[in-house]
Amino acid sequence: MTLFLQVLANGLVLGGLYACIAAGFSLVWGVLNVINILHGSFIVLGAYVAYFAYVALGIHPFVSVVLAGGVLFVLGYLLQTGVINRVVGAPVLTTLILTFGLDLLLNNAMLVAFKADYRKINLANPLGVVDLGGVFLPLDRVAAMALALLLTGGLYWLLNASRVGRAIVAVRMDREAALLMGVDVPRIYAVTFGLGAVMAGAAGSLLALIFPISPLAGTLYLGKAFVVCVLGGLGSVTGAIVGGLALGVVESFSALVFGPEHALTVSFALLVMLLVVRPTGIVGRRGYE
Amino acid sequence: MATVLVWALALAVVLSGVAPTLPGPAAAADKALRVGAPLPLTGPLSPEGLKQKRGYDLWVAEVNKAGGIKVGGDRYKVEMVYNDYQSNTPRAVQLAEKLISDDKVNFLFSPFGSGATKAASGVSEKYGIPTIAATASSEEVYNQGYKYLFGTFTPNATLTEPLADIVKGKVGDVKKVAILARNDLFPLAIGQEMEKSAKKRGLEVVFFEKYAIGTLDHASAITQIRAARPQWIFATGYINDLILIRKQMADLGVSAAVVTMIAGPAYKEFAEATGPRAENVTSAAWWHPAVRYKGPDVFGTTENYNKLYQAVYGAVPDYVEASASACGVILQLAIEKAGTMDPRKVRDALASLDATTFFGPVRFGPTGQIVSLEPPVFQIQGGKPVVIYPVAVKQSDLRIGVK
Repeated sequence: MTLFLQVLANGLVLGGLYACIAAGFSLVWGVLNVINILHGSFIVLGAYVAYFAYVALGIHPFVSVVLAGGVLFVLGYLLQTGVINRVVGAPVLTTLILTFGLDLLLNNAMLVAFKADYRKINLANPLGVVDLGGVFLPLDRVAAMALALLLTGGLYWLLNASRVGRAIVAVRMDREAALLMGVDVPRIYAVTFGLGAVMAGAAGSLLALIFPISPLAGTLYLGKAFVVCVLGGLGSVTGAIVGGLALGVVESFSALVFGPEHALTVSFALLVMLLVVRPTGIVGRRGYE
Repeated sequence: MATVLVWALALAVVLSGVAPTLPGPAAAADKALRVGAPLPLTGPLSPEGLKQKRGYDLWVAEVNKAGGIKVGGDRYKVEMVYNDYQSNTPRAVQLAEKLISDDKVNFLFSPFGSGATKAASGVSEKYGIPTIAATASSEEVYNQGYKYLFGTFTPNATLTEPLADIVKGKVGDVKKVAILARNDLFPLAIGQEMEKSAKKRGLEVVFFEKYAIGTLDHASAITQIRAARPQWIFATGYINDLILIRKQMADLGVSAAVVTMIAGPAYKEFAEATGPRAENVTSAAWWHPAVRYKGPDVFGTTENYNKLYQAVYGAVPDYVEASASACGVILQLAIEKAGTMDPRKVRDALASLDATTFFGPVRFGPTGQIVSLEPPVFQIQGGKPVVIYPVAVKQSDLRIGVK
């Protein structure tokens, strides 16, 4: 029983991180119809911001979420207005190739700037582990998960309650109609892409506590984001949370039952099955896919 | 009589004219010796590729500073030709072929790791180009019957055997071993070697699982290890995997008398990234900066090698970097011994080489794999890797308990 609870806890904590990784990716894909290959590298860049902020200035990674988010927003906004907006109306393959190329550039820039070494933040006062009757919960992961869910919730609030958020949702629903209502669509695109980057940067600073950081780690995160989005349903914040938690729990249990070697195989097989049965994802709505 | 003299003179002229052209057309023109190296300079293996490159570059700088390699009466400067295979093994094979046929390199240094080295070794064999591998240890690489491939790492068992002896001797109550191995050529091979070494000594292997390349979470495997209560946890993989595994062990409250990780703790990045969690983690590698050897090579002694490396790169060299430099040193010794750049003669000189270098004694077995090294076992103590075996260079004793 303890083993079962421990594996469930492992899965939920991991799933929280997955949700955080995927939220921004899902937003950009849903609103802009752009598959942002840069997303993984944005996360890594956020992790580096947090790493250097901690090493040089002693800023706790939970605080540098704001810093990393800010840096990434500026980068994302400028990339969208300067580059991606020029082809945003083109078929999805064009924007995919564009972000793929930008990703190669960013990867190699980070290799030159940060070197290929693996780094990790080691807190001077680690949060430690709490033992709930044999079920161990690492507090840094729990806190990161809580913050991740808070951020994702914040995004949900922004989309539903703020003026700019409503404009984003309007553009997602019908670009032409939004344009006729006086929404500045290119600017909304840039804000959306910027917000996606904020989520990536914030996720990166939380992950810097947990995973080793290296310039090319982005592809792993990107793969997870992709699966989470398809699993949960595209373009919605709840989809990212549900998909993330589902993936985390499924991976944990399949590692237990089939061995860690097959954890990824099982989760991808489930994904394919879900696509056959429910192509919109667990909580996705038809029309947004 | 006069005719005989004329004939003799003519023969002498012809022979003397032929002899200098024998080493090949590239030699006389620019007096440079070209060594090709396909390396993973980008992609997931780039940290390893860059390490190898640093090792080669340091050797080239030292050789050229000393005037180059002596070939008979001549001196040749060394020129490295690097090609990036982007961590993609099939591309490494293509580039090995390109380096030989297009770039006309005289010698080749292998790509990273056992897998890619094995794949590319067929090419150098086909062209008869002597090739030295800096980072291939698995025996499957060398038992293909090839004549032109040489390697600076001893077989995997030479790492696990002394380790198992030390642990068995020092830790009385060690009975159960758990092995978590990355499903990849070298990490899996060394995991299986550990299983053999453990069983040979009557230890029970209570857990042996493989994890996929690119695994982001080890919590389930570690939870199972915790339930099996082993005294010795043996994890294999590359540095990023091992940093994550060590972190998640701590997250899940797993401790053991002995925790061994291969291959990662030899790199200074491991202790930096895991901080206090690195303490008392044991490992083994083919070389360690604490070993002390002295030889006729350009570096002379291990101390001098460490000093030069420190001066150029501002860090302590690890075994990959040293092994790459050793490839250069070994090639140089063989060429100087052969007195020619003729590939066949250099190959024979390599096969019969018996020398001590800054890296250690160098002697190759019949398969081309080095047989003379005694790989050190070490443990992170006070944030630094210290040698606990072999006795000759031992700096400390095994400390028990990893929390």
